[in-house]
Amino acid sequence: MKSQFAALLAGAAFLAMGAPASAHHSFAMFDALHPKEISGTVKEFRFVSPHTILIVTVKGQDGVEKEWILEGGAPGLQVREGLTSKSLRPGDEVTVTINPLHSGAEGGSYQPAQVKFKDGRLVVAPKP
Amino acid sequence: MVLRSVMGSVALFVAVIAGPVAAQQPFDENKYPPMAGQWQRVGPLGVFDSTKPPARGQQAPLTAEYQARFEANLAEVAKGGSGDDPVHTCIPEGMPRAMNLVLPMEIVISRNTTYILMEYLTMLRRIYTDGRSFPTDEDPSWMGYSVGKWIDEDGDGRFDVLEIETRNLKNPRTFDPSGLPVHDDAETVVHERFYLDKAKPDILYDEITVMDHALAKPWTVLKTMRREKKPIWVESICSEGNVHVTIGGEQYMLGGDGLLMPFRVGQPPPDLRHFNKK
Repeated sequence: MKSQFAALLAGAAFLAMGAPASAHHSFAMFDALHPKEISGTVKEFRFVSPHTILIVTVKGQDGVEKEWILEGGAPGLQVREGLTSKSLRPGDEVTVTINPLHSGAEGGSYQPAQVKFKDGRLVVAPKP
Repeated sequence: MVLRSVMGSVALFVAVIAGPVAAQQPFDENKYPPMAGQWQRVGPLGVFDSTKPPARGQQAPLTAEYQARFEANLAEVAKGGSGDDPVHTCIPEGMPRAMNLVLPMEIVISRNTTYILMEYLTMLRRIYTDGRSFPTDEDPSWMGYSVGKWIDEDGDGRFDVLEIETRNLKNPRTFDPSGLPVHDDAETVVHERFYLDKAKPDILYDEITVMDHALAKPWTVLKTMRREKKPIWVESICSEGNVHVTIGGEQYMLGGDGLLMPFRVGQPPPDLRHFNKK
């Protein structure tokens, strides 16, 4: 019991440090300190290893469309959080809070709980 | 006379063939602890000591030389790189990092070998329990060579503990995604004790002690796992969709258009000297 409690405490500390809960390798290329919200249309959702990939077409203020590639967790982790290969489909309009690439290129990381449909519904319902 | 000779030959044949078979006891799974099923990590993802925060918070007993190397790695990571973590290019985690259990594992016990099947990266641990010694001429591997022994600690006629020693490991490896290093000589030795919680048989422990020349003293942690009642298994083939690439020592990401993107501000593009030679 003591070891499980200590593990829970460490988990809380881990999250408090801003580390993504689904990262199996370093996600340091993504800026966890400056999250960014993007809105657009799902072009592709790859439910693949090692990490799921969400590609969103985003129209900039200049009217130019760019494709953002967003890296999520391992499918084995995300499916246990309620995300499946059918959760997102091409054409879905979504808003995603991402940790963007440090370089400023159109890429970032995402968590399933940070993806919302246009009507405000979360892609993955929060666990009670 | 001829008949006696034939009978003698048959008896000798039966003795030769049946001897070893008769000496081998039937495999009795009831002699082993009920470790079958899917085991999930208890505690946070991506740390070796599940009771402590990641990176420096792990307080790994590194030597001064390897602490300095770890600090340099953390500085590189702070600039946006992957640092010394090799797994982003789909290299398997290896031991002992595999026991951080990104995804669940399954234990399969057979007469001479116990297998640990890991969902993450489809890693396989093969633990020989037939009394053999370590080989002297086998190439190293990321999961290493594991020799184990089942022990009946309380003398009730049933094994309680699986003790394992793992050697012959291959680099690059780290303890975790933060880049906590093992020594360049790859002479890591891992000792483990697997056992079920006596009061809660759906809780499994793995006491791990690592001896490595990057460590000033052995590092011991206790891993806790819980048995999943309704297991699902998800295939994990890392090369299927990895968007991280390393070219000329620089790490890049593939964009939504399939083209290279930089990790860091000001990162140079790859050296293309081998293109357009005509």
